[in-house]
Amino acid sequence: MAQKLIELVRNEFSDSVLDSYSQHGDETVVIEPESWLALGKFLRDDPGCDMALLVDLTAVDYPQKTPRFEVVAHLASLRLGHRLRAKAAVGATDGTGAQIDSWSGLWGSANWAERECFDMFGVDFRGHPDLRRILLYPEFVGHPLRKDYPADRIQPLVAFRDAENIEKLPPFGPSEGMSFGRKTHDQWLTNRDAADDDL
Amino acid sequence: MEAPDIDLDTPSVTLDADPMLLKMGPAHPATHGTVRIIVELSGENIERADVQIGYLHRGFEKMCERGTWSQVFPYVDRCNYVSPLLNNVGYALACEKLLDLQVPLRCQYYRMMLGELARIADHLTCVSAMAMELGAFTPYLWMMKAREMVWDIFEEETGARLTHSFGRIGGMALPPTPGFTEHSQAVVTHVISVIGEAERLLLTNRIFLDRLENVGVMSADDAVSLGWTGPTLRASGIPYDVRKAHPYLRYGDVEFEVPVGVRGDCFDRFVVRLEEMRQSARIIAQCAERMPKDGPVNIDDPRIMLPAKDQVYDTIEGTIQHFKLVMEGIKLPAGEVYGYTEGGNGELGFYLVSDGSGTPHRVRIRPPSFYVTGGLESLITGQMIADVVPCFGSLNMIGGECDH
Amino acid sequence: MATFQIDNKEIPFEAGDTIIAAAARAGIDIPHYCWHPGLSVAANCRMCLVELLPPPGRKAMMLDVLRWDAASGQYIKESKPKLVPACQQSVSAGMQVLSDSSDHVVRARAAVQEFLLLNHPVDCPICDQAGECRLQDYWLTQGPNKKRMNDEPIHKPKAVDFGPHIVYDAERCIVCTRCVRVCNELAKDPVLSVSQRGNLNEITVAPGRRLDHNYSLMTEVVCPVGALTSKEFRFKARVWFLNSVPSVCVGCSKGCNSLTDYDPRESKVYRYRPRENQAVNKHWMCDVGMLDYARIHEHRILEASIAGETVPRKAALEKAAELLRGVSGQKLGVVFGAEFSQEENAALLALSQVLGAETFFEAGRTPGNSDGVLMQADRNPNSAGVRQLLNSEPLPGSELAQRLQSGQLTHVIILGSTLKDARACEQVSQLTSGKRIVLASHQGPLLTGANVVLPVTTWAEIEGTYVNVEGLAQVSQQAIAPQGQALPAFKWVAHLARALGKSVASKSLAAARALFEAPPTASAESSHQAGAQP
Repeated sequence: MAQKLIELVRNEFSDSVLDSYSQHGDETVVIEPESWLALGKFLRDDPGCDMALLVDLTAVDYPQKTPRFEVVAHLASLRLGHRLRAKAAVGATDGTGAQIDSWSGLWGSANWAERECFDMFGVDFRGHPDLRRILLYPEFVGHPLRKDYPADRIQPLVAFRDAENIEKLPPFGPSEGMSFGRKTHDQWLTNRDAADDDL
Repeated sequence: MEAPDIDLDTPSVTLDADPMLLKMGPAHPATHGTVRIIVELSGENIERADVQIGYLHRGFEKMCERGTWSQVFPYVDRCNYVSPLLNNVGYALACEKLLDLQVPLRCQYYRMMLGELARIADHLTCVSAMAMELGAFTPYLWMMKAREMVWDIFEEETGARLTHSFGRIGGMALPPTPGFTEHSQAVVTHVISVIGEAERLLLTNRIFLDRLENVGVMSADDAVSLGWTGPTLRASGIPYDVRKAHPYLRYGDVEFEVPVGVRGDCFDRFVVRLEEMRQSARIIAQCAERMPKDGPVNIDDPRIMLPAKDQVYDTIEGTIQHFKLVMEGIKLPAGEVYGYTEGGNGELGFYLVSDGSGTPHRVRIRPPSFYVTGGLESLITGQMIADVVPCFGSLNMIGGECDH
Repeated sequence: MATFQIDNKEIPFEAGDTIIAAAARAGIDIPHYCWHPGLSVAANCRMCLVELLPPPGRKAMMLDVLRWDAASGQYIKESKPKLVPACQQSVSAGMQVLSDSSDHVVRARAAVQEFLLLNHPVDCPICDQAGECRLQDYWLTQGPNKKRMNDEPIHKPKAVDFGPHIVYDAERCIVCTRCVRVCNELAKDPVLSVSQRGNLNEITVAPGRRLDHNYSLMTEVVCPVGALTSKEFRFKARVWFLNSVPSVCVGCSKGCNSLTDYDPRESKVYRYRPRENQAVNKHWMCDVGMLDYARIHEHRILEASIAGETVPRKAALEKAAELLRGVSGQKLGVVFGAEFSQEENAALLALSQVLGAETFFEAGRTPGNSDGVLMQADRNPNSAGVRQLLNSEPLPGSELAQRLQSGQLTHVIILGSTLKDARACEQVSQLTSGKRIVLASHQGPLLTGANVVLPVTTWAEIEGTYVNVEGLAQVSQQAIAPQGQALPAFKWVAHLARALGKSVASKSLAAARALFEAPPTASAESSHQAGAQP
């Protein structure tokens, strides 16, 4: 159903579309990040696309790939009934340089979606009117949905009281919350360097 | 008493005209759900507003990456915690979309019935809380009583009133109890009568209408641009319902209507929810007739469903099956999928990225109330401070879903 | 390159390959139990049966079978092609093999799997193999079956003591004879054999003997099920809580490639497994090396001390600098560590050059016996590396004792805790003359009477390059975080140099590595994924 849509996009952005495929009933188009804003405008304004609804905008972290983060947007057209997933990859392996144009001028829903994406992944959206954290408090350090952010790190704003069993405080102690599956993401927590600040 | 000896028409004092910053902080009796609205007031009019969410952010998406696919079910329950079964069913459908499999017919109707009951519970909560915040306490208590009866059904079916964790990839945790269809028909009939009574109390009340009509108007175009879906979008005039636009389960076979509002104000959002409950009742009645009385509820694939406990204890195959599914997780094929259903507040989507192992690489919940609350700022700007209460109430922001 | 086809995919092969070996090299797993790339072919499990399309112009060999037809309730005569074991069939060019794409093969695998599980005990919750068990893995992937037998399974001896390291459970055993072949072919000690017949088959130890050769743990490694378990590892840890890193065994100078399995939550190493390296150890490791992981957590020096008293690291470092300040290079001896990595030794060499010291010795564990297969007499992993760095043979340990006693050397920096010459080591430890600054990871004679002791990390706590007896440099990855107060020796050297007002650029692993020109290494990949168990 959205095959025509993919063809329209491919025709319009023939030199920046990197890939397109259909999987489990979803159509996806992968594009270079430099054309992100142009793609958004095209999808919204072109009568053959008419994607008035930006359903969701988020990112996924693939630490083994370069570029590392994949910004994923889901769009739908209420009038024509088709849907599309648009993806663009940004960011170096160490997490810096993740920049892409903001869609907040095209869809109002992009405003908060991009703020959340920035909050969780550290992706910078150029042109966003107010790119600050939305789900976490402003003093938070780091971007938690990155694979190299340890899930059991606590960042309390107020120091813990001097009490017993303090390491069993939530989220969890050292032997809880471990993934049962053989696969964990701990391999990305590579900083096990010996600390020698006292010397 | 003598008239004062001053001329009241000419002001002799000039008052400070700086806007006042008011923080309707996270703990506020009239905002159900934790959200902080910082409003800049000029008198009673809101010049600017900043809506700050995130007080209920629990790192749900990060936690999903630390378990298996089945271990996500308790997390999604706690997203939209007033209609948890809709979340369970939505997530199960997204996983099944990635597996390209369909559950048996009996399960499809079962999921629909439980989902619509959850939707009724959700709308009962929203509607009654809206009324309570405007001072009408009685309909709140009546609807809470009705909601208790819905929760009794859930307790009987799933064992829990609120956070059921009842969905499974490939089916449900247990088959329906023998009296399920009769019980739910009886409850739904009662709920409809309670709705009728509440309507009679509220919808002709001048104060109630004045506080809701033409307050917080959202135009259709703006609503779509803000990513609104669900009752709030339909109140603004757009008849988009995922159950009609992209039917899943057996929604294509049952008859129901999608109530659509006219003005897009708080009143429309209120009445749309009332009507949707009636439509949900219709769906439940039709499903109750069509649901097969016996037959399997779960698919019969040992790679996906857990075995019966006597098999686990007595046979090596059952033990291995249980071991593999629990310890390594169901191996969803590598790839990505976006599975979406109509949640209590709109299009509830799950974007799943799988790498072929039993551990999810990424679980993204597309929370409908996140986008709906994103529109709160533009909704209340220009309104009066007292309008924040019905506006916010009509959006039905569920903290668990908005902040995940 | 000659090729053949598996499921319509062209696979290259070498002369003499069997189908399963060529497929394994191409990354295709044909399910198997009894085949092992390092052992002879037994072909008794029948799991690797594949369908071989006949050469052009010939008919396939067909077997007459009876198929149960549920609809009619009768057996129907049919014929199906005879399947061949992929582990035994040699490949010829143009051969067409059907593996997953053939229904017969899929049904055969499910049938073999069903039979293997017929009498299998319901032991998964207490079996150590759970999580890395072929029966579990293949049950899930090769057509999950439900149990169809209603009778009591056969009962056999359980928890039989085979030897000093191995326990045998006959009920779990699928009699693949991998353990028998390991004893026969690797250890050249045919102490295991199959006894009894039919479904009473079990593995027994030769009468009057025990499974006590130096490769008994290899029987546990090759066992695809939980029949053979290691006494040191059983019931200690569940494998899904363990992470694996590719490492090199430091028990002797052979440098067998291994996998270090550790629990990241406790930072504790639980076992080694051998890693395949055709150039060094093929698929094997000796028992001594396999059990060497215990040394990571035993008899460790984890705190700095001055004259035997524990002090903070900074105090010990300053004391060491104070002792070395102004010492002439002629009077300073440096003892390199054959137990430590090239990075650490190269940093120490750089420090010696900066301090003008030229008298070099070598610390290391005393030699033992070679077993004629893998284990070498030299029980240190990096003796060849030290010689490469120094470009000469270090002076013998007796010289160290003598020069310290005579006053020819007044100060000595030692990386290690024992000398290869046990008598010299004893002498040095008794000396009261000469200042000794010891960087050590384990307790040892050289720490007795040492002036300053600085705790050093072991091989599992820092990545390191080790040069084996054949001159091959190999990298061992870091498994756990450094324990206690231990630091890698190259960091100590950098701090010591700075405290002495000099500079040695070895604060980080990369900087230390740059200090020696590492020859092209047959190194472990920097991946944290465990190697697949054959």
